[in-house]
Amino acid sequence: MKALKSLLSIILIVILVMSFTAMALAQDTEIVPIKIRTRAKPPMENWRGLNFIVAEKDLNADLEAMGDPRRVKVEIIQDNAGWGEFVTEFVLAYGAGEAHDIWLTGHEYIGTQAEAGRIIALDELVKEFPIFNLVFDTLWDCTEYKGKIWGVPQDAEARPLFWNKSLLKQLGWSNEEITALPVKIEKGEFTLYDMLETAKQAVDKGVVEPGNGFWTRPKNGSDFTAFYYAFGGETIDSATGKLVFDKTAGLKYYQFFYDAVQKYGSMGCLGLGWSEAWHPGVSSEGRVLFWVGGTWQWAEWAEIYLKDLGGETYAWENFGFGLIPAAEKGGKPNTLTHPLAYLVSSQCKHPDLAVALIAKVTNYGPNTRHAVASTHLGILKGQTEYKFYKESRLLRETLYMLDYTTFLPNNPDWGPYSTVTYEALAAVVSGDFTPEEAMDFVLEGLQRELGDKVIIK
Amino acid sequence: MSKNLQLEREQSSLSSFLTTKSFFSQLKSWLLPYTFLAPTLIGVTLFFFIPLVMVFILSFTDLDMTNFGILKWWQPTNWTLDNYVKIFTNRFFPKILKNTLIYVSMTLIFFNVGMALVIALITTNINRRIGFASRLIWLMCRITPVVVYIMMWKALAGPAPMGVLNKHILGPLGIGTGEYLLNTHPWIFVILVNGFIGVSFGMILFSSAIEAIPKDYMIAAKVDGASTWQTIRYVTIPMIKWPLLFVTTYQTLSLLTSFQQILLLTDGGPKLYQTEVWSLTAYHRAFTSYFGNIQWGYGSAWAVILVIIGVTMAIIYLRVFKFGELMQEPKIEQL
Repeated sequence: MKALKSLLSIILIVILVMSFTAMALAQDTEIVPIKIRTRAKPPMENWRGLNFIVAEKDLNADLEAMGDPRRVKVEIIQDNAGWGEFVTEFVLAYGAGEAHDIWLTGHEYIGTQAEAGRIIALDELVKEFPIFNLVFDTLWDCTEYKGKIWGVPQDAEARPLFWNKSLLKQLGWSNEEITALPVKIEKGEFTLYDMLETAKQAVDKGVVEPGNGFWTRPKNGSDFTAFYYAFGGETIDSATGKLVFDKTAGLKYYQFFYDAVQKYGSMGCLGLGWSEAWHPGVSSEGRVLFWVGGTWQWAEWAEIYLKDLGGETYAWENFGFGLIPAAEKGGKPNTLTHPLAYLVSSQCKHPDLAVALIAKVTNYGPNTRHAVASTHLGILKGQTEYKFYKESRLLRETLYMLDYTTFLPNNPDWGPYSTVTYEALAAVVSGDFTPEEAMDFVLEGLQRELGDKVIIK
Repeated sequence: MSKNLQLEREQSSLSSFLTTKSFFSQLKSWLLPYTFLAPTLIGVTLFFFIPLVMVFILSFTDLDMTNFGILKWWQPTNWTLDNYVKIFTNRFFPKILKNTLIYVSMTLIFFNVGMALVIALITTNINRRIGFASRLIWLMCRITPVVVYIMMWKALAGPAPMGVLNKHILGPLGIGTGEYLLNTHPWIFVILVNGFIGVSFGMILFSSAIEAIPKDYMIAAKVDGASTWQTIRYVTIPMIKWPLLFVTTYQTLSLLTSFQQILLLTDGGPKLYQTEVWSLTAYHRAFTSYFGNIQWGYGSAWAVILVIIGVTMAIIYLRVFKFGELMQEPKIEQL
């Protein structure tokens, strides 16, 4: 009996000791919440945030294997807010001391946020994850500001000139001519004014309604900068890092849009709502001959606007695409990439873990999932050989465009610069300004808003 | 002697007691109204006056997204008049001002006061129940959530074949080419959308004011052989002068500062600044921008000018309508 009692006591003591040990061990494990803020158009771009769920498990397994007591718990906030609201949210959250740890945003915001000290330079942390060596060097350039790296590229895209093949056929173009158009553009044989001329023919022959010969996006955005570049414009001075506005290129740029409206029956697009008029206009309703869009819109058209007409198959049958044509014969065509980048807030308490999570999603698998679903271009060397990436026809056929790509400048004052130059463009399109008046407005506006932060050439 | 002394002492202690009591009761009577006023005073100070002063100060700074948290905007050394210079030298300033005047005056004349008065006059002169039901229908626009309300208008204005107006009215009549009416006639919609909401406020006030007019006046007018128009012109309208002043003033200020319907309907477009009104510009500058260069300081300056315009207009109204005479104490109480 006595022996039984002592046995029971020993068992109890052992159980107690084991429980306490387990509790002590459990307390050693520190849960680190990592808040991630992404912007995504559902369902195409959902992987921007969802990839982190997979990454969390993967990283926690690594941490456990290493004996690191920390475990990450990701909190993903993802919606389709406007860019302006998206930035405001981060800045105000930062002001309140509650900034997200990882913030996925356009690379052009780096200048502003780095200057304000809201994000951290990642040079040292990035070196610890060799996977980042796979990212294209040109994309790293976009995340560089004042000689340091402030973000990790997430995706890229091309902004092609699209055309409606059926409307070109109605205009009398043969299949061969339509198929040869991308090559003609690439060689500089089909210029911006050739495009407008074709648009005018379509309007004159009643193939499209006046205003629908050629469309850009309906609101301010990066695409317009590609046109300014096409006319020889520059946006940044590499020596000083200051913004640049080129008067000669600017005048040609405004003249082009003035002509597009006044002479070539185009640009009836500014001010339209994206979902109710612009997307249906170019896709399901097929009312526009040429338009500038983005590769990611291909997925939107297939998933949403052309769903009832046959989705992507319909798009391949009816739409073609090429680079944005050169301004002059023999000139170089272009396109513009606006890579998004993961930035790490300076309020993040564990930046090493944040970067480790980013490293997990910067890999062939997760990045290709996003690229294919959203028709964004890959960002990794050798990604074109990756089995699942290769299977996307659009990504294959637009990849060559990266050779012609241009970027927005990383400058804190890009916002006011862009607003002033776009307002002048919208006024030219609405007939309120002549190209010369637009130039006066821009020169006066840039000097008023930015003073000596902008170089007028 | 000692008795007298005692009496004096008693009297002095009594008087001091009385003085003390009256001091406290005086304090109490002085504080009591403030106690009742305190919650409102605190609320108004915290949520109106302090923000107003802050907006006023911000309007002299260049606080924006780039320097938020860095710029010490409260220091007078950082205050300049640059924002105001920027506004008055802005090429689109005259256009925005003109838009604001068109928006406020058209909506006010045709709907918030005009239509409100007409509906009030009609519904108070017909069967009481039918009148009540008619007024209730007009209230629907105001009680519908603004997003739903704008979606309905967008569906109405939509291009053929989806747009209700194009499909069922303009199409069969052979008017127009089925274009998106918000693109072709944005101003008509901006005024209609705001007007339909604005009508109900004046309508309710005017109806109750008209119904409060003693029937004797109407009967007397009829006995004197006044026509309906004459009764309205010489009896009803003079008697509802106070609600008329109030609705005109209140709705002017309300229209000057309202922009949510325009924001959702056209966002100031479709062409550059085509339907952009002052308050919407203040909102755009202070809270939105495609590339996120939100300019709180500049937006505040637009808002401050709006406050100045509003206050000036209120003073003009009070003068025109002879507010002082309307508010005279009744003579019976002066006797």
